[in-house]
Amino acid sequence: MNRLQTSLGTLTMQNPVTVASGTYGAEFGAFYDLNCLGAYVTKTITRYPKQGNPPPRLYETEAGLLNSIGLQNPGLDIFLSNTLPELSAVCSAPIIVSFSGSTIDEFAEMLDIMEQEPRISGYEVNISCPNVEKEGIAFGVDPDTVHSLTSRLAALTSKELIIKLSPNVTDVVSIARAAATGGATSIALINTLLGMAIDWKTGKSRIKRGVSGYSGLAIKPVALAATYKVASALRIPVLAMGGIYDWKDALEFFYAGASAVAIGTANFANPHAVPELIAGLDSYLQERDVSLSDIIGTVQF
Amino acid sequence: MENRILRVEKAEWLNDDYFILWIKDEQLAATTQAGQFYELRKYSSDPHRLRKPISVYNVEKNFIGFFIKKLGRGTTELATMKKGDELDLVGPLGNGFPLVESQKIALVSGGIGYPPLWYLRRKLAGKNDVYWLHGGNSKADVFPCDEIWSMDGSIGNQGYVTQGLETLLKFGGFDLIYACGPEPMLIQVAKVAAEYGVKLYVSMEAYMACGIGVCHGCVVPTGTPEHIVYKTVCKEGAIFDATEICWSAL
Repeated sequence: MNRLQTSLGTLTMQNPVTVASGTYGAEFGAFYDLNCLGAYVTKTITRYPKQGNPPPRLYETEAGLLNSIGLQNPGLDIFLSNTLPELSAVCSAPIIVSFSGSTIDEFAEMLDIMEQEPRISGYEVNISCPNVEKEGIAFGVDPDTVHSLTSRLAALTSKELIIKLSPNVTDVVSIARAAATGGATSIALINTLLGMAIDWKTGKSRIKRGVSGYSGLAIKPVALAATYKVASALRIPVLAMGGIYDWKDALEFFYAGASAVAIGTANFANPHAVPELIAGLDSYLQERDVSLSDIIGTVQF
Repeated sequence: MENRILRVEKAEWLNDDYFILWIKDEQLAATTQAGQFYELRKYSSDPHRLRKPISVYNVEKNFIGFFIKKLGRGTTELATMKKGDELDLVGPLGNGFPLVESQKIALVSGGIGYPPLWYLRRKLAGKNDVYWLHGGNSKADVFPCDEIWSMDGSIGNQGYVTQGLETLLKFGGFDLIYACGPEPMLIQVAKVAAEYGVKLYVSMEAYMACGIGVCHGCVVPTGTPEHIVYKTVCKEGAIFDATEICWSAL
């Protein structure tokens, strides 16, 4: 019996550990076998190549990381012709493509193109990137827009359809509900919070674009609250992320109701964060003689 | 590249701000090239913090030296390390300097841009004619080389190291320049090199997270102002041909 097995909507995973989009690449194969992943989530792809934001793009605060990458990526065509074949040659874990569009039509066009590709097991629809103007967050803050977009995409695929939400909203449950009724098969949360840092000596913003995305240690309680709120209000599975560094952090999210978790910023601090988390979780469950499914959503008060 | 935890073999202090940590690893020493760097953290430090990118100062026998300036939180942690303490490292990272033969070469460094050129000079020595100019704010920022510049005049010539470079290039005969240092210095070196038509390789610096090319955080602008392409310092650099960098966008 595999104690770590979980499912995310239509997708069965050998273990509940995946990676946060944009924090990971096949480069990690230099440190360990990528097949240990429960699923592989790609960096967000847009229809056409994206240059990204001017630097500085990073700043480490007292308790987390600010980033303003701006979805730099080679575009869908190069992703499908180069990145995906290279990745699938070294990774047989389910591949989930994170993607973003500037209009509902563009999201639909991209999904339609990717449906031809059997190596893709699912999609993570990024409607929550704080670092771009048109793509991203503009879609993720309004329940009606989320519902229209999700319904349009759900009609085009029977693969796993994850909608990735922003914490930068008044009521995350209403947005998650709009995605669920629109036909999403799971919800990913949270994307980065809005953050900023200024050099007090010079008055200069640490990040060129000013306001950026905040991740890492500091956002764990925020992510946990969002996970708990959505998982306890709706039946849709949650892929949780935000400040998860080790198996103990992950357990908190399972108690809160997450069906799977993603490691993001922790990959930068510890290149072995993924296999160490999987091994730690496995030992813990084995010692307790329980399965992951016995823990999910069982937080007590 | 590897992720290893190795003991510090020797911690050598040069003055109040600069120190060298030596580690020993046969395989890493054999594969580390001049101009490459490692991401370092003190193993017993807060595991949530990012590593610090530190360039390779020297590789000798099976030892690798990291010449570090105590600046922020990460390097201050590294500064507490003593012989026997565990260093958690990822590397070697980046592309390294292209090596040449039978060339007349100027090395130009500013401040903590000094260390990578030390190992580079060793690799070039004997096969090339090498002249090294180094500048710093004050004598505490100056280390052995052929021509010294300091901003406060406390040692060597007073002024910018790039003034020395310009004088040198006026006499002609140089085939190639390698430079590492603060951004304003590199911009000036690129300007002078272009003016005199001398090929230049620069080691670029940027705030870094992953160090392995996945996060796209540590980019520098390449191409033209009309068509900028952001390249990663950690994977596509840290060494770039100066003509590739879009200097006006820095």
